[in-house]
Amino acid sequence: MSTPSRDAIVRLSGVQKIYKLGKVEVPALKGIDLEINAGDFAVIAGPSGSGKTTLLNLIGCVDVATTGTVMVDGHDTGTLSESALTRLRLEHLGFIFQSFNLVAVLDAFDNVEFPLLLQGKLNKAERRERVEDIMASVGLTDYMHHRPNELSGGQRQRVAVARALVTKPRIVMADEPTANLDSQTGHQIIDLMKKLNQEEGTTFIFSTHDPKVMSQADRSIELIDGLVASSEVADDGRLDTPQTALV
Amino acid sequence: MTGTLIRIALRNLLAHKVKTTVVGGILILGTIMLLLGVSALTSMDRAMSQSLTASISGHLQVSMADAKDKFVLFPSLIDGTEIGEVSDFPKVRKALESLPQVEAVIPQGFDYGMVFGGNLMDVKLAKLRKTHDDIAKPGGQGAYIATRDHVRRIVELLSEDLKNLEAITDEKSRGQETVQGINDVRHAAQPEFWRDFDAQFDARLNFLENKVAVMAIGEDFLFIRYMGTDTARFRKHFHRFEMLEGKPTPPGKRGIMLNHFAYEEFFKHKTARRLDKMKERIEEGYTIADDDQLQDWQRKNVKQYKEIIWQLDAPSAAKVRAVLIEAVGDQKAPDLGSATPHPTSATQAEAAAKAKPAVADKVPQTQEQKVRAEMVRLVSTFFDMNDTSFSDRYALFYKEIAPRIRLYRAKIGDVLTVRGEGAGGYAKSTNMKIYGVFQFRGLEKSILAGAVNIIDMMSFRDLYGFMTADKVKELAEMQKAVGVKDIARDEAEDAFFGGGDDEPSTNDEAGTDDALLGEAAGDAVDPANAATAAVAGAGKTGDAGFDEFADVDMKQGAQRWSDSLLNRVYTEKEIDTGVVRNAAIILAPGADEDDTKAAIEQRVKADKLGVQVLNWRKASGMLGDFVSVIYIVLLVAILGVFGVALFIINNSMVLATIERTREIGTLRAIGMQRRHVLWMFIVESLVLGIVFGVVGSLVGGAIVQWVGSVGIPSGGNTTVIFLFGGPRLFPTLAAWHVGIAMVMVALVTTASTVYPALLATRVTPLEAMQEAEG
Ligand SMILES: Nc1ncnc2c1ncn2[C@@H]1O[C@H](COP(=O)(O)OP(=O)(O)O)[C@@H](O)[C@H]1O
Ligand SMILES: [Mg+2]
Repeated sequence: MSTPSRDAIVRLSGVQKIYKLGKVEVPALKGIDLEINAGDFAVIAGPSGSGKTTLLNLIGCVDVATTGTVMVDGHDTGTLSESALTRLRLEHLGFIFQSFNLVAVLDAFDNVEFPLLLQGKLNKAERRERVEDIMASVGLTDYMHHRPNELSGGQRQRVAVARALVTKPRIVMADEPTANLDSQTGHQIIDLMKKLNQEEGTTFIFSTHDPKVMSQADRSIELIDGLVASSEVADDGRLDTPQTALV
Repeated sequence: MTGTLIRIALRNLLAHKVKTTVVGGILILGTIMLLLGVSALTSMDRAMSQSLTASISGHLQVSMADAKDKFVLFPSLIDGTEIGEVSDFPKVRKALESLPQVEAVIPQGFDYGMVFGGNLMDVKLAKLRKTHDDIAKPGGQGAYIATRDHVRRIVELLSEDLKNLEAITDEKSRGQETVQGINDVRHAAQPEFWRDFDAQFDARLNFLENKVAVMAIGEDFLFIRYMGTDTARFRKHFHRFEMLEGKPTPPGKRGIMLNHFAYEEFFKHKTARRLDKMKERIEEGYTIADDDQLQDWQRKNVKQYKEIIWQLDAPSAAKVRAVLIEAVGDQKAPDLGSATPHPTSATQAEAAAKAKPAVADKVPQTQEQKVRAEMVRLVSTFFDMNDTSFSDRYALFYKEIAPRIRLYRAKIGDVLTVRGEGAGGYAKSTNMKIYGVFQFRGLEKSILAGAVNIIDMMSFRDLYGFMTADKVKELAEMQKAVGVKDIARDEAEDAFFGGGDDEPSTNDEAGTDDALLGEAAGDAVDPANAATAAVAGAGKTGDAGFDEFADVDMKQGAQRWSDSLLNRVYTEKEIDTGVVRNAAIILAPGADEDDTKAAIEQRVKADKLGVQVLNWRKASGMLGDFVSVIYIVLLVAILGVFGVALFIINNSMVLATIERTREIGTLRAIGMQRRHVLWMFIVESLVLGIVFGVVGSLVGGAIVQWVGSVGIPSGGNTTVIFLFGGPRLFPTLAAWHVGIAMVMVALVTTASTVYPALLATRVTPLEAMQEAEG
């Protein structure tokens, strides 16, 4: 189990999330205490239905906890308005989705530029430079003006990674980013994420089923049935496969 | 960001082809409809405005402000006519014409009157008297005999007609007068009556005039509508006026110009007019076989064969008979129907004879009667036309029959006697020479404008019967002069010139047989506008001194008076001074209607002129309303189309929103605020509107241009022709039409986006996370 740390960028305490389906209550998270430090390359593992997505949604400020507190980059998300949460996502978070979720009618460049437009901080030239830089780091310089449907799955996810990182967020969230990719491409994406994590110091929090992916993480949280089953920190940045801990 | 949103919008349009095609198609259609509709309406309005302002109304109308009724050019039944009289027209004219925006102020007055005469029997009797008077002249003998024989023919036909009336009605239902009348006609139809006709001319003619003519049923009078004006200045300023036949009334003279439409509709021989109308309608594509209207005219022509037969004198009848035998001799006669209240035909006489043999047996069929029965059969068979025979018979009618009958009740050059129905309070008669036939270009077929005949201001005032204080005084003096006490003004004529049933005066000015003046009998056609003439003559002019004819021979005097009146030339000052009911204002080129109206109103106030100003649209009353109604109909139609567009766009946008839920959720997740989502949808709808508004405007503009060069056909409908200002409407496009279309499209698309946009703002970022995974 991890101990509280000063540079924890995400801190959850006593978090419960109960979905209501009519009169039926579905407890997805049953009391989570968790800290993730800035710069972590953190993986959330666990079987299907264990609450990974729910947990990422709470950390990603797209949903709020039923009880308990979720602190993200110093903000208690439970106290923020819808608009403030949106602002928080825009300024401090990046998202990578399982199905890439690019805007189909915009080309790679426009998709990546979009969060910058929403921020409205940079002028056109600055935006261009920023987009070109990040596109270079994801290796898509030659594909900037391709539309998503002209790109392969791996390329699309690279665009998504670029879009998540273009605003230089503190934390990037990724819910099963490799689920829709073949394993080789998936590993390339994880390698890319890892590279960016190391180069930029960006905190990555992602979920996966893939044991090989898990071994890349320097922080591993395993969920089972809405509870944290194990939480490990690898000294060398590498974790043992958590399979042994699973029942 | 908006730039990218526009890019998203544009690319979404391209991405969703079906939706774009449907929505775009509707928007384009709506835009085209709107452009066509608005341009057609404004063109229609302009066409109407041009045809009406340049023919009758002028741009503005002034009339008395404190009048009981409001002024309307074409009053409907509910519109009152007490519009008053402009108190000092010369002053009003001077004041208003001094304004730079005003080109001319033309005095006017609209009213109804009755035209008397034209009853065949009356006209022929008058002609008989004239030919008898002229018997000594070269050829006089022949003319007299021909006329006498024609009169005899008519009397015999009339006698037969009345016999039929007797045959189908019983004694009790006929009044004493009718019985006496029938006996008189029968008496006049006897050979004995005609044996010594020449010797007993005066007595016989008197008998015909007093006893027989009254039994000849016919149209004795017709109503005409006229506008009194300064004819010379009217022609100068109303550019849609054009002469078709004859010449315009000379400046300053009394006279009437007949409107071609009215002339054809009311003055033309009924059968000929119906044939003309049938021809027009058949040319429009209707057939006698299928069209009720055509069948109705057809039936009337068959039944009214008398309108032809009575008019034929013996030689003409023989010729027409020969022509008809050749044309329809072998054909079956149409059924003339037995239920007619006034059975007139010989065939019916036969039918009646069978029913009541006792009556018919008394009268054996003579050879002449058989010939006449044959003629009835021929004429009614001839008019029993079908779609194949129509055009040949139409041509034959105009070639062989029309030249032998009186095609019009009055001709150019005739002097027409009109009795004003006295909007001014008193019925008055006056004579006017018919100078010509005109039309208002663009309003040729308008029932309203086409009915307006143009008379001079002087005659108008006579007919209007307005009594000024001066005139009342003059009348009183005149009464004193002839020693009549307590004479009522409207009886003045009779008092001066005797009753209506004695010797009608002749009319040498017109010089035609069928001239209506005086030749026709009846009070109303007494010598020209007696009282007024006398009044005016006594007071003002020396060209036919009142005393002169008052002392000597009333009738002769009146005739001379009438002639001198018809020859007199009035000055513009005389024309302007006196009753002017309303006046038309013609604007200087380029002057604005509303601005000028305001300027005039200011002037009216400053000078205390006491008149009110109406624009032509208001003045045209229900016609202006009609345009408003069309506006509303068009508006409703366009609103309908855009309503449908709104519904469809709304639905397709809702579907698109649902389709794009994940995309919207994603954008929300990466930090897009709700208001940005809303803005995104508004941008999309604006892009949609602008793109298709522009495309629609281009296509619509091109269509309007094309339609504008080809013209929209009126289909021959008279109302439509009137609204179109001619047989075709040529719509033109103005920038503001496109402006309206664009605004409309933008409004509709934005309105139809409100609901889907609201739905979109409710999409949560969670939607981006939802996966169809296990
Ligand atoms: N929106 C929801 N409404 C109701 N139940 C939900 C909802 N989302 C998730 N759940 C339930 O919560 C539990 C955890 O789900 P989830 O966080 O998606 O797990 P994982 O991502 O690990 O598969 C599951 O039992 C799931 O059925
Ligand atoms: Mg999940």
